[in-house]
Amino acid sequence: MASLLDTSKPRINCSMLSQHIGRGVCFVGRVEKVHPTGKTFSVSDGEGKSATVELNEPLEEELSGIVEVIGMVSSKGVITTTTYNILREDKGIPFDLELYNEALKVIHDFPQYYPFEVAASG
Amino acid sequence: MTKLSEGTIEALSNGTGVSDAVLQLVNIRKLDGGNGPSRFRVMMSDGRHTLSSFMLSTQLNHMAEENILAPNCICNLKRHVTNILKDGRRVVIILEIDVIKPAKDVAGRIGDPTPYTEGQSKGPQSAPVPENRPPLQPQNRNEAVNRGLNRDFGKKAPSVMPNTPGGSSKVVPIASLNPYQSKWTIRARVTNKSSIRTWSNSRGDGKLFSMEIVDESGEIRVTGFNQEVDKFYSLIEAGKVYYISKGSLKLANKQYTSVKNDYEMTLNGESTIIPCEDSCDVPMVQCDFVSIGDLENRDKDAIVDVIGVCKSVDDISRLTTKSNREVSKRTLSLMDMSGKVVTVTLWGEEAEKFDGSSQPVVAIKGAKLSDFGGRSLSASFSSTLMINPDIPEAYKLRGWYDKEGHAMDGQSLTEVKGGSGGGNTNWKSLSDVKTEHLGHGDKADYYTCVATIVFLRKENCLYQACPSQDCNKKVVDQQNGMFRCEKCDKEFPNFKYRLILSANIADYGDNQWVTCFQESAEAILGQNAAYLGQLKDSNEAAFDEVFQHANFNTFVFRNRVKLETYNDESRIKATVMDVKPVDHKEYSKRLILNIRKLAANH
Repeated sequence: MASLLDTSKPRINCSMLSQHIGRGVCFVGRVEKVHPTGKTFSVSDGEGKSATVELNEPLEEELSGIVEVIGMVSSKGVITTTTYNILREDKGIPFDLELYNEALKVIHDFPQYYPFEVAASG
Repeated sequence: MTKLSEGTIEALSNGTGVSDAVLQLVNIRKLDGGNGPSRFRVMMSDGRHTLSSFMLSTQLNHMAEENILAPNCICNLKRHVTNILKDGRRVVIILEIDVIKPAKDVAGRIGDPTPYTEGQSKGPQSAPVPENRPPLQPQNRNEAVNRGLNRDFGKKAPSVMPNTPGGSSKVVPIASLNPYQSKWTIRARVTNKSSIRTWSNSRGDGKLFSMEIVDESGEIRVTGFNQEVDKFYSLIEAGKVYYISKGSLKLANKQYTSVKNDYEMTLNGESTIIPCEDSCDVPMVQCDFVSIGDLENRDKDAIVDVIGVCKSVDDISRLTTKSNREVSKRTLSLMDMSGKVVTVTLWGEEAEKFDGSSQPVVAIKGAKLSDFGGRSLSASFSSTLMINPDIPEAYKLRGWYDKEGHAMDGQSLTEVKGGSGGGNTNWKSLSDVKTEHLGHGDKADYYTCVATIVFLRKENCLYQACPSQDCNKKVVDQQNGMFRCEKCDKEFPNFKYRLILSANIADYGDNQWVTCFQESAEAILGQNAAYLGQLKDSNEAAFDEVFQHANFNTFVFRNRVKLETYNDESRIKATVMDVKPVDHKEYSKRLILNIRKLAANH
């Protein structure tokens, strides 16, 4: 879905899923359980809540740690993945998911200072 | 017949000390004091001479009033002190005396003693201007005292004071001491005695010790040099009370002490220090405690008294000073009811002896406040450290700590090492620096900021410096293969390259020209000065590359700004003291905190 990558994809956590149904989002969370088929897995956000992620193709690699998923939120609150990134734990500074969640809240509490929409459609 | 100690009178008159002299009391006369207890003047005989200038110390008045001391009784003079009047005459103050044979058991006068004549003086002392009067102020007070004394040995001087055995000078309060009176006696407790310190400089060498003393009226710092060290140092014990007389007073150097007194005292050849037995009403210590939370408002280098609970203590460490001395050091954290915590550094023996287990209440009188890490305290050689002192503040603290304090984390005023966002870092944005006019005051200002390098001046960033270890002065190229350092006054066949880098740093709001010296320049460029010097001379392209690579990097800068004036022109000069990589976690936390704070205030 190339078109998805052209739109703005706000960063969200689980509590914001319902407000973004049918829209492209960016979700960062910790991998919890991977389904045996490798086509779906669960992730938890900085607040400890869980969401389900679906893939078009089954996983080809071991998935663990923190991932960044870009996709669309379905009517059932599941994220259908367009692409994903693994934030490797063995490189760089360890990712602080709780701190990320705090930053997320700031972005959503003060949208007037974080006009991503405008930037993306430009 | 009881044998009297012949020669005692002569000895006493000559100033030679005597101990346990057996004397006969010839006469005792009561003198009315004006305000205060009566004094008794006594004439004693040693069988050979009589001397009428004995005074009974007031604590022994009862012996006279109860007629224990009566004419003809034989006594053992156990303790006394001799005071010399301005005219040279001596007065012997009887501090302790035993009657070994009561008057009724003694027939009459023993022997045929004659009055002992001393060099000067039976003549009335009327000359109001004795020779060696110090040039300063008219000593009206002393004159009255002396005139009174010379006539009557004990008429009280118009001024005051709780009188006691201290001699013909009455005991005066410490608060009344001033440089214009020299004939006084005080009764005070030693709260702090320093160790003997020696010095050796171009003018010679010597030794000194200092102490702080306190009485009901106040406190004062006392110093003794050279001979006075020998005379008094071993006699004095901290915590004990002494009669001290005739020290010299001068204006206090408040820099070195927190003692509240405009003056300080120096012991001299005339000074006397006598132990006092009756000491219960002299206070133990005088402290004016500052709350730890208030320390932020005090100037650095202030001397303060603090009291708190020792929350934690670190292990002792040893360091070597510049003069190659090894010294022990220990830090502890002190918390009080303000909820704030400060780091205190102990040195030497105090550091070694300190036992911080069971979180004792620690009080420090005269601790030095420093701006190291924001605010921190140090116990210097003139500070007094008290563990679990017996004072009401200590009990209050103990009670508070056991109930609530022990559970608190406390907020530390001292920036812990490694935390660039700790305690009191002065975070500013570059526009803040300009709008707040940092550096415009008398002293330099320091601030920390996150900024990006937008320009580096590579021309003239290197200079040739003196190769000597601690000298960084620019050397002059003699053009003959030798380089001359004016500071060391020597020539060298080589030099070392050093960096002075001019850069422009910027953040979202503003930019700032700064100068970076060796360490910070090397950190920014990612290369050391020697290598850069080599590159500049041999491979210009590679040299330029270093600068390209260093550009547009973001760092945490700790800068110093100060207004400097050159020939009528004033300009703000900023120097980079320290460069560190950005700690993104800490930075994010701080930003989020600031955003939330801003939001809350709307």
